[in-house]
Amino acid sequence: MSWNVGVWIASLLTLAIYSFLYKDNPFYKVAENIFVGVSAGYWAVVLWFDFTWPNLFEPLINRGNVISLIPIIVGLMMFAPLIPKISWLVRIPLTFTMGVAMALVVTQRIQGEIFPQLQATFLPLAGVSPGVLISNLLIIIGVIATLIYFYFSKEHKGVLGFGAKLGIWFMMIAFGASFGYTVMARISLLIGRVYFLLHNWLGII
Amino acid sequence: MKFIDRLEHLDRRIIFLLVGIAVIIPMLIPLGLPVDISKPVKDVYDKVESLSEGSIVVVSADYDPGSEAELYPATEAFLEHCFRRNLRVFMLGLWPAGSNLGNLALEEIAPQYNKVYGLDYINVGYRPGGPVMLVSLGRNVADIVRTDYTGTPIDSFPLGRAVKSARDIDLVMTLSAGDPGVLHWIIYFNARYGTPIACATTAIMAPQQYPYISSGQLIGLLGGLKGAAEYETLVERKARAVGGMDSQSIVHVLLVIFIVIGNIILFSQRRKK
Repeated sequence: MSWNVGVWIASLLTLAIYSFLYKDNPFYKVAENIFVGVSAGYWAVVLWFDFTWPNLFEPLINRGNVISLIPIIVGLMMFAPLIPKISWLVRIPLTFTMGVAMALVVTQRIQGEIFPQLQATFLPLAGVSPGVLISNLLIIIGVIATLIYFYFSKEHKGVLGFGAKLGIWFMMIAFGASFGYTVMARISLLIGRVYFLLHNWLGII
Repeated sequence: MKFIDRLEHLDRRIIFLLVGIAVIIPMLIPLGLPVDISKPVKDVYDKVESLSEGSIVVVSADYDPGSEAELYPATEAFLEHCFRRNLRVFMLGLWPAGSNLGNLALEEIAPQYNKVYGLDYINVGYRPGGPVMLVSLGRNVADIVRTDYTGTPIDSFPLGRAVKSARDIDLVMTLSAGDPGVLHWIIYFNARYGTPIACATTAIMAPQQYPYISSGQLIGLLGGLKGAAEYETLVERKARAVGGMDSQSIVHVLLVIFIVIGNIILFSQRRKK
Protein backbone atom coordinates (compact mmCIF):
# COMPACT_ATOMS: atom_id res chain seq x y z
CA MET A 1 0.00 0.00 0.00
CA SER A 2 1.19 3.48 -0.88
CA TRP A 3 2.26 5.93 1.85
CA ASN A 4 2.15 8.88 -0.54
CA VAL A 5 -0.33 11.51 0.68
CA GLY A 6 -1.16 12.58 -2.89
CA VAL A 7 -2.01 9.01 -3.89
CA TRP A 8 -4.28 8.69 -0.84
CA ILE A 9 -6.10 11.94 -1.61
CA ALA A 10 -6.57 10.92 -5.27
CA SER A 11 -7.78 7.46 -4.26
CA LEU A 12 -10.28 8.69 -1.69
CA LEU A 13 -11.61 11.31 -4.12
CA THR A 14 -11.97 8.61 -6.80
CA LEU A 15 -13.98 6.44 -4.41
CA ALA A 16 -16.06 9.47 -3.38
CA ILE A 17 -16.92 10.20 -7.03
CA TYR A 18 -17.77 6.56 -7.77
CA SER A 19 -20.01 6.44 -4.68
CA PHE A 20 -22.53 8.39 -6.78
CA LEU A 21 -23.22 5.17 -8.70
CA TYR A 22 -24.88 3.86 -5.53
CA LYS A 23 -26.73 7.07 -4.79
CA ASP A 24 -26.13 10.79 -4.29
CA ASN A 25 -24.30 11.38 -1.01
CA PRO A 26 -22.21 13.99 0.86
CA PHE A 27 -18.88 12.36 -0.09
CA TYR A 28 -19.72 12.77 -3.77
CA LYS A 29 -20.81 16.38 -3.22
CA VAL A 30 -17.54 17.21 -1.43
CA ALA A 31 -15.43 15.63 -4.19
CA GLU A 32 -17.45 17.38 -6.89
CA ASN A 33 -17.05 20.78 -5.26
CA ILE A 34 -13.33 20.26 -4.68
CA PHE A 35 -12.99 19.43 -8.38
CA VAL A 36 -14.84 22.58 -9.47
CA GLY A 37 -12.81 24.77 -7.10
CA VAL A 38 -9.45 23.26 -8.02
CA SER A 39 -10.25 23.51 -11.75
CA ALA A 40 -11.14 27.20 -11.43
CA GLY A 41 -7.97 27.92 -9.47
CA TYR A 42 -5.84 25.90 -11.88
CA TRP A 43 -7.18 27.79 -14.90
CA ALA A 44 -6.65 31.14 -13.19
CA VAL A 45 -2.97 30.24 -12.66
CA VAL A 46 -2.60 28.90 -16.21
CA LEU A 47 -4.19 32.01 -17.74
CA TRP A 48 -1.83 34.29 -15.86
CA PHE A 49 1.47 32.35 -16.02
CA ASP A 50 1.09 30.78 -19.49
CA PHE A 51 -0.95 33.35 -21.42
CA THR A 52 -0.95 36.84 -19.94
CA TRP A 53 2.47 37.17 -18.30
CA PRO A 54 4.74 35.61 -20.98
CA ASN A 55 2.87 37.05 -23.98
CA LEU A 56 1.89 40.47 -22.70
CA PHE A 57 3.53 41.80 -19.56
CA GLU A 58 6.92 40.04 -19.65
CA PRO A 59 7.87 41.52 -23.07
CA LEU A 60 6.67 44.97 -21.91
CA ILE A 61 8.23 45.05 -18.45
CA ASN A 62 11.42 43.01 -18.88
CA ARG A 63 12.24 43.74 -22.51
CA GLY A 64 10.68 47.18 -22.95
CA ASN A 65 8.62 45.98 -25.91
CA VAL A 66 6.15 48.87 -26.21
CA ILE A 67 4.24 47.10 -29.02
CA SER A 68 2.73 44.99 -26.23
CA LEU A 69 0.77 48.10 -25.24
CA ILE A 70 -1.42 47.66 -28.34
CA PRO A 71 -2.81 44.22 -27.35
CA ILE A 72 -3.17 45.46 -23.76
CA ILE A 73 -5.29 48.43 -24.89
CA VAL A 74 -7.27 46.35 -27.39
CA GLY A 75 -7.74 43.66 -24.75
CA LEU A 76 -9.02 46.20 -22.22
CA MET A 77 -11.65 47.22 -24.78
CA MET A 78 -13.29 43.83 -24.18
CA PHE A 79 -14.43 45.25 -20.84
CA ALA A 80 -16.04 48.31 -22.50
CA PRO A 81 -19.64 46.95 -22.22
CA LEU A 82 -19.31 47.46 -18.46
CA ILE A 83 -19.42 51.23 -19.15
CA PRO A 84 -22.50 51.90 -21.33
CA LYS A 85 -21.12 55.19 -22.77
CA ILE A 86 -18.14 53.48 -24.42
CA SER A 87 -19.64 50.03 -24.88
CA TRP A 88 -19.23 50.34 -28.68
CA LEU A 89 -15.46 49.98 -28.22
CA VAL A 90 -15.91 46.23 -27.74
CA ARG A 91 -16.47 45.95 -31.49
CA ILE A 92 -12.77 46.65 -32.16
CA PRO A 93 -11.29 43.57 -30.39
CA LEU A 94 -14.22 41.42 -31.54
CA THR A 95 -13.79 42.33 -35.22
CA PHE A 96 -10.04 41.86 -34.93
CA THR A 97 -10.45 38.40 -33.40
CA MET A 98 -13.10 37.41 -35.94
CA GLY A 99 -11.02 38.71 -38.85
CA VAL A 100 -7.92 36.77 -37.83
CA ALA A 101 -9.92 33.63 -37.09
CA MET A 102 -11.80 33.81 -40.39
CA ALA A 103 -8.63 34.36 -42.40
CA LEU A 104 -6.92 31.42 -40.74
CA VAL A 105 -9.87 29.09 -40.77
CA VAL A 106 -11.11 29.77 -44.31
CA THR A 107 -7.72 29.52 -46.02
CA GLN A 108 -6.39 26.60 -44.03
CA ARG A 109 -9.64 24.61 -43.94
CA ILE A 110 -9.84 24.76 -47.73
CA GLN A 111 -6.17 23.92 -48.19
CA GLY A 112 -5.89 21.43 -45.34
CA GLU A 113 -9.27 19.77 -45.17
CA ILE A 114 -11.72 20.29 -48.01
CA PHE A 115 -9.33 19.78 -50.96
CA PRO A 116 -7.42 16.79 -49.52
CA GLN A 117 -10.66 15.11 -48.42
CA LEU A 118 -12.23 15.70 -51.82
CA GLN A 119 -9.10 14.39 -53.50
CA ALA A 120 -9.26 11.26 -51.31
CA THR A 121 -12.60 10.32 -52.90
CA PHE A 122 -11.11 10.27 -56.43
CA LEU A 123 -10.34 6.59 -56.24
CA PRO A 124 -9.47 4.12 -59.01
CA LEU A 125 -12.07 1.54 -59.96
CA ALA A 126 -9.98 -0.23 -62.59
CA GLY A 127 -6.65 -2.01 -62.36
CA VAL A 128 -7.00 -2.71 -58.62
CA SER A 129 -7.51 -5.90 -56.62
CA PRO A 130 -11.12 -6.98 -55.85
CA GLY A 131 -10.69 -6.04 -52.16
CA VAL A 132 -9.49 -2.51 -52.99
CA LEU A 133 -12.25 -2.17 -55.60
CA ILE A 134 -14.95 -2.97 -52.99
CA SER A 135 -13.34 -0.59 -50.50
CA ASN A 136 -13.10 2.21 -53.07
CA LEU A 137 -16.70 1.65 -54.22
CA LEU A 138 -17.94 1.80 -50.64
CA ILE A 139 -16.16 5.12 -50.07
CA ILE A 140 -17.45 6.66 -53.32
CA ILE A 141 -21.04 5.44 -52.86
CA GLY A 142 -20.99 6.38 -49.16
CA VAL A 143 -19.83 9.95 -49.86
CA ILE A 144 -22.36 10.48 -52.67
CA ALA A 145 -25.27 8.92 -50.73
CA THR A 146 -24.52 10.95 -47.58
CA LEU A 147 -24.26 14.16 -49.61
CA ILE A 148 -27.63 13.36 -51.23
CA TYR A 149 -29.20 13.03 -47.77
CA PHE A 150 -28.06 16.59 -46.97
CA TYR A 151 -29.41 17.96 -50.26
CA PHE A 152 -32.63 19.66 -49.24
CA SER A 153 -33.52 21.68 -52.37
CA LYS A 154 -35.59 18.82 -53.86
CA GLU A 155 -37.95 16.37 -52.25
CA HIS A 156 -36.32 13.02 -51.50
CA LYS A 157 -38.27 10.89 -54.00
CA GLY A 158 -37.25 8.36 -56.65
CA VAL A 159 -33.48 8.15 -57.22
CA LEU A 160 -32.90 10.99 -54.78
CA GLY A 161 -35.01 9.22 -52.15
CA PHE A 162 -33.10 5.97 -52.64
CA GLY A 163 -29.78 7.83 -52.38
CA ALA A 164 -30.92 9.60 -49.21
CA LYS A 165 -32.01 6.28 -47.64
CA LEU A 166 -28.66 4.76 -48.53
CA GLY A 167 -27.01 7.81 -46.97
CA ILE A 168 -28.91 7.18 -43.74
CA TRP A 169 -27.59 3.59 -43.70
CA PHE A 170 -24.01 4.76 -44.16
CA MET A 171 -24.43 7.35 -41.40
CA MET A 172 -26.03 4.79 -39.06
CA ILE A 173 -23.05 2.50 -39.53
CA ALA A 174 -20.73 5.44 -38.80
CA PHE A 175 -22.73 6.34 -35.67
CA GLY A 176 -22.58 2.70 -34.57
CA ALA A 177 -18.79 2.70 -34.93
CA SER A 178 -18.61 5.96 -32.97
CA PHE A 179 -20.84 4.52 -30.23
CA GLY A 180 -18.68 1.40 -30.00
CA TYR A 181 -15.55 3.53 -29.66
CA THR A 182 -17.31 5.71 -27.05
CA VAL A 183 -18.14 2.65 -24.95
CA MET A 184 -14.52 1.54 -25.27
CA ALA A 185 -13.32 4.98 -24.19
CA ARG A 186 -15.52 5.03 -21.08
CA ILE A 187 -14.43 1.55 -20.07
CA SER A 188 -10.79 2.57 -20.64
CA LEU A 189 -11.25 5.44 -18.18
CA LEU A 190 -12.72 3.03 -15.63
CA ILE A 191 -9.80 0.65 -16.22
CA GLY A 192 -7.41 3.57 -15.67
CA ARG A 193 -9.00 4.44 -12.33
CA VAL A 194 -9.22 0.83 -11.16
CA TYR A 195 -5.56 0.32 -12.16
CA PHE A 196 -4.65 3.40 -10.12
CA LEU A 197 -6.52 2.08 -7.07
CA LEU A 198 -5.14 -1.45 -7.31
CA HIS A 199 -1.59 -0.57 -8.38
CA ASN A 200 -0.65 2.89 -7.13
CA TRP A 201 -2.76 2.89 -3.96
CA LEU A 202 -3.18 -0.69 -2.75
CA GLY A 203 -0.16 -2.13 -4.57
CA ILE A 204 -1.83 -5.49 -5.17
CA ILE A 205 -1.17 -5.68 -8.93
CA MET B 1 -42.43 -13.94 -18.39
CA LYS B 2 -42.02 -13.22 -14.71
CA PHE B 3 -38.25 -13.44 -15.17
CA ILE B 4 -38.37 -11.00 -18.11
CA ASP B 5 -40.48 -8.58 -16.03
CA ARG B 6 -37.94 -8.78 -13.24
CA LEU B 7 -35.11 -8.08 -15.70
CA GLU B 8 -37.00 -5.09 -17.08
CA HIS B 9 -37.10 -3.51 -13.65
CA LEU B 10 -33.56 -4.52 -12.74
CA ASP B 11 -31.81 -2.05 -10.45
CA ARG B 12 -29.20 -0.31 -12.60
CA ARG B 13 -26.72 -0.57 -9.73
CA ILE B 14 -26.49 -4.31 -10.39
CA ILE B 15 -25.26 -3.50 -13.90
CA PHE B 16 -22.67 -1.10 -12.45
CA LEU B 17 -21.57 -3.83 -10.05
CA LEU B 18 -21.23 -6.41 -12.83
CA VAL B 19 -19.19 -4.00 -14.96
CA GLY B 20 -16.97 -3.24 -11.94
CA ILE B 21 -16.40 -6.95 -11.30
CA ALA B 22 -15.68 -7.53 -15.01
CA VAL B 23 -12.97 -4.86 -14.85
CA ILE B 24 -11.38 -5.87 -11.53
CA ILE B 25 -11.23 -9.69 -11.84
CA PRO B 26 -9.14 -9.80 -15.08
CA MET B 27 -6.73 -7.32 -13.49
CA LEU B 28 -6.22 -9.58 -10.48
CA ILE B 29 -6.18 -12.78 -12.56
CA PRO B 30 -4.80 -11.85 -16.03
CA LEU B 31 -6.12 -13.95 -18.89
CA GLY B 32 -3.42 -12.94 -21.37
CA LEU B 33 -5.82 -12.51 -24.28
CA PRO B 34 -3.96 -11.83 -27.55
CA VAL B 35 -3.66 -8.25 -28.86
CA ASP B 36 -3.97 -8.09 -32.66
CA ILE B 37 -2.10 -5.32 -34.44
CA SER B 38 -4.17 -3.07 -36.69
CA LYS B 39 -2.77 -1.39 -39.81
CA PRO B 40 -2.96 2.24 -38.57
CA VAL B 41 -0.88 1.31 -35.50
CA LYS B 42 1.61 -0.71 -37.55
CA ASP B 43 1.98 2.26 -39.90
CA VAL B 44 3.03 4.53 -37.02
CA TYR B 45 5.50 1.89 -35.84
CA ASP B 46 6.92 1.44 -39.36
CA LYS B 47 7.33 5.20 -39.80
CA VAL B 48 9.37 5.44 -36.59
CA GLU B 49 11.43 2.43 -37.70
CA SER B 50 12.12 4.12 -41.04
CA LEU B 51 13.60 7.28 -39.48
CA SER B 52 17.37 7.48 -39.33
CA GLU B 53 19.18 7.90 -35.99
CA GLY B 54 19.17 11.47 -34.70
CA SER B 55 15.95 12.40 -36.53
CA ILE B 56 13.81 14.90 -34.66
CA VAL B 57 10.34 13.86 -33.54
CA VAL B 58 7.95 16.42 -32.08
CA VAL B 59 5.79 14.80 -29.41
CA SER B 60 2.80 16.99 -28.70
CA ALA B 61 1.04 16.02 -25.48
CA ASP B 62 -2.38 17.50 -26.15
CA TYR B 63 -4.34 16.00 -23.28
CA ASP B 64 -5.00 16.38 -19.60
CA PRO B 65 -5.57 14.08 -16.60
CA GLY B 66 -9.12 13.36 -17.82
CA SER B 67 -7.69 11.36 -20.73
CA GLU B 68 -4.56 10.15 -18.95
CA ALA B 69 -5.91 6.60 -18.72
CA GLU B 70 -6.01 6.30 -22.51
CA LEU B 71 -3.14 8.48 -23.68
CA TYR B 72 -0.40 8.16 -21.05
CA PRO B 73 0.32 4.49 -21.92
CA ALA B 74 0.59 5.53 -25.59
CA THR B 75 2.98 8.36 -24.60
CA GLU B 76 5.24 5.95 -22.74
CA ALA B 77 5.22 3.30 -25.47
CA PHE B 78 5.93 5.85 -28.21
CA LEU B 79 8.75 7.53 -26.26
CA GLU B 80 10.30 4.15 -25.56
CA HIS B 81 10.30 3.39 -29.29
CA CYS B 82 11.85 6.77 -30.12
CA PHE B 83 14.65 6.43 -27.57
CA ARG B 84 15.33 2.84 -28.56
CA ARG B 85 15.76 4.05 -32.14
CA ASN B 86 17.99 6.94 -30.94
CA LEU B 87 15.62 9.59 -32.22
CA ARG B 88 15.61 13.04 -30.64
CA VAL B 89 12.38 14.09 -28.94
CA PHE B 90 11.10 17.67 -28.89
CA MET B 91 8.12 17.72 -26.55
CA LEU B 92 5.46 20.39 -26.20
CA GLY B 93 1.81 20.56 -25.23
CA LEU B 94 -1.18 22.34 -26.74
CA TRP B 95 -3.03 21.65 -23.48
CA PRO B 96 -1.81 23.18 -20.19
CA ALA B 97 -1.40 19.90 -18.32
CA GLY B 98 -0.23 17.95 -21.37
CA SER B 99 3.46 18.72 -21.24
CA ASN B 100 3.51 17.98 -17.48
CA LEU B 101 2.07 14.53 -18.12
CA GLY B 102 4.48 14.11 -21.02
CA ASN B 103 7.32 15.10 -18.72
CA LEU B 104 6.41 12.33 -16.29
CA ALA B 105 6.76 9.85 -19.16
CA LEU B 106 10.06 11.44 -20.28
CA GLU B 107 11.48 11.23 -16.75
CA GLU B 108 10.52 7.58 -16.57
CA ILE B 109 11.67 6.40 -20.01
CA ALA B 110 14.69 8.61 -20.88
CA PRO B 111 16.98 7.40 -18.02
CA GLN B 112 16.40 3.78 -19.09
CA TYR B 113 18.19 4.61 -22.36
CA ASN B 114 20.77 7.01 -20.81
CA LYS B 115 19.32 9.94 -22.72
CA VAL B 116 20.50 13.43 -21.82
CA TYR B 117 18.13 16.36 -21.40
CA GLY B 118 18.80 19.10 -23.94
CA LEU B 119 20.81 16.80 -26.17
CA ASP B 120 18.51 13.84 -26.83
CA TYR B 121 15.23 15.30 -25.65
CA ILE B 122 13.72 18.55 -24.52
CA ASN B 123 10.38 19.70 -23.16
CA VAL B 124 9.34 23.24 -24.07
CA GLY B 125 6.14 23.03 -22.06
CA TYR B 126 2.66 24.32 -22.74
CA ARG B 127 2.34 26.44 -25.87
CA PRO B 128 -0.93 28.38 -26.05
CA GLY B 129 -2.38 29.87 -29.21
CA GLY B 130 -3.66 26.84 -31.12
CA PRO B 131 -3.70 27.48 -34.90
CA VAL B 132 -1.75 30.77 -34.77
CA MET B 133 0.96 29.15 -32.67
CA LEU B 134 1.28 26.14 -34.99
CA VAL B 135 1.60 28.29 -38.11
CA SER B 136 4.31 30.40 -36.42
CA LEU B 137 6.07 27.35 -34.98
CA GLY B 138 6.47 25.83 -38.43
CA ARG B 139 7.82 29.08 -39.88
CA ASN B 140 10.26 29.96 -37.11
CA VAL B 141 10.41 28.05 -33.82
CA ALA B 142 12.23 30.92 -32.08
CA ASP B 143 9.16 33.16 -32.55
CA ILE B 144 7.14 30.85 -30.34
CA VAL B 145 9.61 28.99 -28.13
CA ARG B 146 12.17 31.01 -26.23
CA THR B 147 12.54 28.83 -23.14
CA ASP B 148 12.00 25.24 -22.10
CA TYR B 149 9.45 24.25 -19.45
CA THR B 150 11.81 25.28 -16.63
CA GLY B 151 12.34 28.76 -18.09
CA THR B 152 15.88 28.02 -19.37
CA PRO B 153 16.60 29.68 -22.75
CA ILE B 154 16.10 27.07 -25.45
CA ASP B 155 19.20 28.10 -27.40
CA SER B 156 21.34 26.96 -24.48
CA PHE B 157 20.53 23.34 -25.46
CA PRO B 158 21.96 21.59 -28.57
CA LEU B 159 18.53 20.18 -29.43
CA GLY B 160 16.92 23.59 -28.91
CA ARG B 161 19.34 25.08 -31.46
CA ALA B 162 18.77 22.21 -33.91
CA VAL B 163 15.03 22.81 -34.30
CA LYS B 164 14.60 26.06 -36.24
CA SER B 165 11.49 25.41 -38.33
CA ALA B 166 9.21 22.68 -39.68
CA ARG B 167 11.98 21.68 -42.10
CA ASP B 168 14.01 20.30 -39.17
CA ILE B 169 11.14 18.13 -37.92
CA ASP B 170 10.91 14.60 -39.32
CA LEU B 171 7.69 13.51 -37.64
CA VAL B 172 5.01 14.95 -35.38
CA MET B 173 3.27 12.63 -32.94
CA THR B 174 0.25 14.25 -31.34
CA LEU B 175 -1.36 12.58 -28.34
CA SER B 176 -4.70 14.20 -28.69
CA ALA B 177 -7.80 14.37 -26.50
CA GLY B 178 -9.69 17.09 -28.36
CA ASP B 179 -9.32 20.66 -29.42
CA PRO B 180 -6.62 21.92 -30.00
CA GLY B 181 -5.09 18.67 -31.12
CA VAL B 182 -4.69 16.38 -34.07
CA LEU B 183 -7.02 18.31 -36.39
CA HIS B 184 -5.01 21.51 -35.84
CA TRP B 185 -1.74 19.70 -36.51
CA ILE B 186 -3.20 18.34 -39.78
CA ILE B 187 -4.76 21.57 -41.01
CA TYR B 188 -2.27 24.15 -39.81
CA PHE B 189 1.00 22.21 -39.88
CA ASN B 190 0.84 19.26 -42.25
CA ALA B 191 -1.10 21.11 -44.95
CA ARG B 192 1.22 24.13 -44.80
CA TYR B 193 4.62 22.55 -44.20
CA GLY B 194 4.13 18.93 -45.31
CA THR B 195 5.54 17.45 -42.10
CA PRO B 196 4.24 13.90 -41.53
CA ILE B 197 1.74 13.62 -38.68
CA ALA B 198 0.91 10.54 -36.60
CA CYS B 199 -1.51 10.51 -33.71
CA ALA B 200 -2.74 8.74 -30.63
CA THR B 201 -6.25 9.78 -29.73
CA THR B 202 -8.93 8.94 -27.22
CA ALA B 203 -11.19 6.15 -28.47
CA ILE B 204 -14.07 8.61 -28.90
CA MET B 205 -12.01 10.62 -31.40
CA ALA B 206 -10.57 7.64 -33.27
CA PRO B 207 -13.34 7.11 -35.89
CA GLN B 208 -13.07 10.76 -36.94
CA GLN B 209 -9.41 10.25 -37.90
CA TYR B 210 -9.94 7.54 -40.51
CA PRO B 211 -10.78 9.98 -43.35
CA TYR B 212 -7.43 11.67 -42.73
CA ILE B 213 -5.63 8.33 -42.84
CA SER B 214 -7.33 7.48 -46.10
CA SER B 215 -6.38 10.89 -47.56
CA GLY B 216 -2.76 10.43 -46.47
CA GLN B 217 -2.82 13.43 -44.15
CA LEU B 218 -2.23 11.13 -41.18
CA ILE B 219 0.39 8.41 -41.25
CA GLY B 220 -1.34 6.27 -38.66
CA LEU B 221 -3.38 6.17 -35.50
CA LEU B 222 -3.26 4.72 -32.02
CA GLY B 223 -6.96 4.69 -31.09
CA GLY B 224 -7.58 4.72 -27.35
CA LEU B 225 -6.21 2.21 -24.88
CA LYS B 226 -6.48 -0.52 -27.53
CA GLY B 227 -4.13 1.40 -29.84
CA ALA B 228 -1.70 1.90 -26.95
CA ALA B 229 -1.85 -1.83 -26.17
CA GLU B 230 -1.06 -2.64 -29.81
CA TYR B 231 1.91 -0.27 -29.75
CA GLU B 232 3.12 -1.74 -26.45
CA THR B 233 2.97 -5.17 -28.11
CA LEU B 234 4.94 -3.93 -31.13
CA VAL B 235 7.70 -2.37 -29.02
CA GLU B 236 7.63 -5.40 -26.67
CA ARG B 237 6.79 -3.30 -23.67
CA LYS B 238 3.81 -5.05 -22.16
CA ALA B 239 2.67 -2.55 -19.56
CA ARG B 240 -0.50 -0.80 -18.46
CA ALA B 241 -2.37 -0.81 -21.78
CA VAL B 242 -1.83 -4.51 -22.50
CA GLY B 243 -2.76 -5.22 -18.87
CA GLY B 244 -6.06 -3.39 -19.35
CA MET B 245 -7.04 -5.26 -22.52
CA ASP B 246 -8.32 -8.35 -20.65
CA SER B 247 -10.74 -6.17 -18.68
CA GLN B 248 -11.72 -4.29 -21.83
CA SER B 249 -12.52 -7.52 -23.70
CA ILE B 250 -14.51 -9.02 -20.81
CA VAL B 251 -16.56 -5.83 -20.34
CA HIS B 252 -17.27 -5.66 -24.08
CA VAL B 253 -18.62 -9.24 -24.00
CA LEU B 254 -20.71 -8.30 -20.97
CA LEU B 255 -22.11 -5.24 -22.74
CA VAL B 256 -23.02 -7.30 -25.80
CA ILE B 257 -24.92 -9.66 -23.48
CA PHE B 258 -26.69 -6.66 -21.90
CA ILE B 259 -27.67 -5.36 -25.35
CA VAL B 260 -29.04 -8.78 -26.38
CA ILE B 261 -31.01 -9.11 -23.10
CA GLY B 262 -32.30 -5.54 -23.50
CA ASN B 263 -33.58 -6.34 -26.99
CA ILE B 264 -35.20 -9.60 -25.85
CA ILE B 265 -37.05 -7.63 -23.14
CA LEU B 266 -38.08 -4.96 -25.67
CA PHE B 267 -39.48 -7.49 -28.15
CA SER B 268 -41.26 -9.53 -25.47
CA GLN B 269 -42.92 -6.37 -24.11
CA ARG B 270 -44.00 -5.37 -27.62
CA ARG B 271 -45.53 -8.81 -28.16
CA LYS B 272 -47.39 -8.51 -24.84
CA LYS B 273 -48.93 -5.20 -25.92
